[in-house]
Amino acid sequence: MLTFTLRRLNLFIFTMFLLTLLSFSLSFLFPGEQLINISGQVNATPEQLIILGEHYQTQSNVFQQYFAYVNMLFHGDLGISMASQLSISTEIMNFLPATIELTLVALFIAMLFGIPIGFIAAINHRKATDNIILSISMIGYSIPVFWLGLLAILVFSIQLGWLPSAGQISLLFEIEHVTGIQFIDILLSNSPYKWQAFQDASAHIFLPACVIALAPATIFVRLARSAMMEVLESQYIRAAKAKGLSFRQIIYHHAIRNAMVHVIRDVGLQFANLVTIAMVTEVIFSWPGIGRWLIESIYQRDHTAIQGGLLALSAFIFIVHIVTDFIYAALNPLARESRHGT
Amino acid sequence: MNLLDIRNLSIELKSATNPILAVDRVSLTMKEGEVRGLVGESGSGKSLLAQAIVGVLDDKWQVDADRFHWRGNDLMRLSLDERKAIISKDVAMIFQEPMACLDPTMTIGEQLTEAVDCDQLSGFFWQKNQQRKENAISLLHKVGIKQHKVCLKKYPHQLNEALCQRIMIAMALAKRPILLIADEPTAAMESTNQGQIFRLLASLNQLKNMSILLISHDLENVTHWTNTITVMYSGQFVEAGTTKQIFEQPFHPYTRALIDSSPKANMGLPAKSRLMALPGSIPILQHLPIGCRLGPRCPRAQQECVIAPKVQNYHGHQFSCHFSLKGSY
Amino acid sequence: MARDKIYLEEEFPSPLLQLWHNFKETPVVMLGFSCFVFLTILALFSPLITPYTSVENHLDFLLLPPAWHNDGNVSFLLGTDNLGRDMLSRLMHGTSLTFGLSFVVVLISLVIGVIIGSFSALTSGIKSSFLNHFLDVILSIPSLLLAIVIVAILGTGLSNTLWAIIMVLIPQFVHITRNAVTEEFRKDYVLASRLDGASSLRILYHSVFPNILEKLISQATLAQSSAILDIAALGFLGLGAQIPMAEWGAMLKNGIDLFYIAPWTVYLPGLAILFAVVATNLVGEGMRHALKVSKEA
Repeated sequence: MLTFTLRRLNLFIFTMFLLTLLSFSLSFLFPGEQLINISGQVNATPEQLIILGEHYQTQSNVFQQYFAYVNMLFHGDLGISMASQLSISTEIMNFLPATIELTLVALFIAMLFGIPIGFIAAINHRKATDNIILSISMIGYSIPVFWLGLLAILVFSIQLGWLPSAGQISLLFEIEHVTGIQFIDILLSNSPYKWQAFQDASAHIFLPACVIALAPATIFVRLARSAMMEVLESQYIRAAKAKGLSFRQIIYHHAIRNAMVHVIRDVGLQFANLVTIAMVTEVIFSWPGIGRWLIESIYQRDHTAIQGGLLALSAFIFIVHIVTDFIYAALNPLARESRHGT
Repeated sequence: MNLLDIRNLSIELKSATNPILAVDRVSLTMKEGEVRGLVGESGSGKSLLAQAIVGVLDDKWQVDADRFHWRGNDLMRLSLDERKAIISKDVAMIFQEPMACLDPTMTIGEQLTEAVDCDQLSGFFWQKNQQRKENAISLLHKVGIKQHKVCLKKYPHQLNEALCQRIMIAMALAKRPILLIADEPTAAMESTNQGQIFRLLASLNQLKNMSILLISHDLENVTHWTNTITVMYSGQFVEAGTTKQIFEQPFHPYTRALIDSSPKANMGLPAKSRLMALPGSIPILQHLPIGCRLGPRCPRAQQECVIAPKVQNYHGHQFSCHFSLKGSY
Repeated sequence: MARDKIYLEEEFPSPLLQLWHNFKETPVVMLGFSCFVFLTILALFSPLITPYTSVENHLDFLLLPPAWHNDGNVSFLLGTDNLGRDMLSRLMHGTSLTFGLSFVVVLISLVIGVIIGSFSALTSGIKSSFLNHFLDVILSIPSLLLAIVIVAILGTGLSNTLWAIIMVLIPQFVHITRNAVTEEFRKDYVLASRLDGASSLRILYHSVFPNILEKLISQATLAQSSAILDIAALGFLGLGAQIPMAEWGAMLKNGIDLFYIAPWTVYLPGLAILFAVVATNLVGEGMRHALKVSKEA
């Protein structure tokens, strides 16, 4: 287990190194002054520019500039946004929790619906249920998410009026911004209307999370189905049948555990896809998350913000990858051994 | 009374284009306390036959028989589920690659306690748990694993093949079966471990009077440990009889060729001469010959062999061949 | 006197023909394939077929609903948008933009990705391990995010979008080529060729590529459906094709403001995207299914 952890840590450090390298080189690639791109001080006077130059070591060669940049990162300074002139790290800390909340809820919904349906499709292989599930999942996988979001708003918010279409929570509730994750903030605040606030926040998160969850859920259906089909063909299931176990027992005790092990490994890989979809959905539903902030920065040509946002978002995705790797190793004794691929 | 009485069992692969008869009218009988070997090359349908008896075949295979009696009960009239219920009480099966037959994500202890029969326990559920554990430990002792504490906590991939096979036998013994079907139990092991497993099976047969159906492609090994042998080729019944009869006086050309090809029979050959073997190889399912399926390869085949030969019986030694070697003995 | 053939000669078609044979057998897949061919023809010949050009303004007929509505006009079958442009012509023209360009994008990134991937599979040691880790990091960044960043560097516009998507798809092809080639290199037939004295390039070209072709094609269809969605998504976000180009995502963006008064400006481009992606996915699925069946038989 120790070598596994060390190896994962090693991979994490290497990835962070590459990511910082990428975001550092972006400051050179973006149009405009490199120094302004990396620090964000659009309105600086020439004297301030000289001081900044010393901070970022623009006089020395590229390597020292890179180390200066990483140094600033360690101190938590990602520069300031060119558009709003606020510190980028505070902006990210404001917006990232909302995205975390939305993506985690969407991931949960996708897994909750996708995986069991995939298992059911595999158990009923070659029958009508399997074909129906496959066709529905194919269509769900092909719908462009922005179109689906618009349609969902049209049907559920405007025509039926069941669910709200924008924002995280109704403006009537004054919940203090402690962590940024609405549900935790509601629990921590001392407002007398906690339960209604909770209901309101759930109504607000429901529609965007479902829109995001559709495409990943169909991918999970596919993955779960193929994992379960592979498990059902395997030798130990056949031996268990010969042992005399009932079908139900076999499915619940053996097949699901083994199939879940295969599925979990791929769940982590799908998370990047989910975050992409979440970014577009945040724009449509005006969700105050980092995706919407990033896209607005792109409209406004806010290069520093793009750098910082890219770094933060990729780091977040990678951390989730590593967490799912750990969960996979916990479930599957085989993966804990040292003989395992990249 | 015969334990198992199967007459003319056929297994057909239901496919859209043309149905293929993977096992063609094979008969098999087993008595109590008998160790019978079922011999044939890979592709001869012996594993299919065993799986059809236990009832673990997929939906795409269709099983048909003139007679399928288990301890006097006629099983062909029952539905598949009822058949499985009756057979799984008294028949157990062990498979070829034992490590692959154990669930890789559960410890041995958990899998063994799962196999323990619930009907034999009594009392409240915490007492039942304790009894299950004790049962599992005693099963391990029965197959010769003394260090049960170490073994119960391990995962299958941490053990070797022979140990896994012994655990599979232990799980099979949990049901106290009357017949144990061993489907190539030692194919994946070295010869020293093979000897262990065979000795274990022989002791089970002697001490508990358990019948064993030993399926193998290795004629030499089988002749050492069995009382009677049935030979199959490409899904068809070839020959059956006591080990002595088959080994000393094989009637069917195929059995003769099998015995001739073993090293013991070839000790007297001069140096640098060819080993004796039948030309060609076993036909694939898509291109099965009509009539006797050994026809294209058989040295004694003639035109009559396009009609499948009937089973003839001579002092308990059965064979199906138009041109058998009976006359030459 | 000619003798009748008693035994029919067995014909074993080549693997590609076998694939096509298996592919043809599922009717749903053939339906998808014919839609795919229909879209390709539309993409190639749309300037010749469309009744009006995609930018012609008909100022008398603003915001006309589709022809089956009461207020609709038969000469504008699917209605018009807020500047009087015919929806049908714009949709057909958009086929060549969204669908046709996605095809081109996938082709280019396939070629480049395969070349890089095979070279990376041939090397080994620190260089290759570095490349592997680098690839893994790039693959873990979401594709749309990467495309957006590249567009931010290069600027908006349709051609920059294409470069961005090409650069995003290349790592996927490199990854899959590298894995497939390393797996094939472990097999015995490559060892046999090497013992005969073949150089790596020759082995690659003659022995390995025909065998990994199927995996590449199936990955290419996956990549195409994701390319269509990405081009449309970038158009929707305003970072890709700009108005007045008739790209489907941009049309969708245009239609949001008119959502309540003219919902067909939102329905129609979305349905077009859905149709194209479903057709591509059906073809891809059919290909993968045919691959699996031909491996089993």
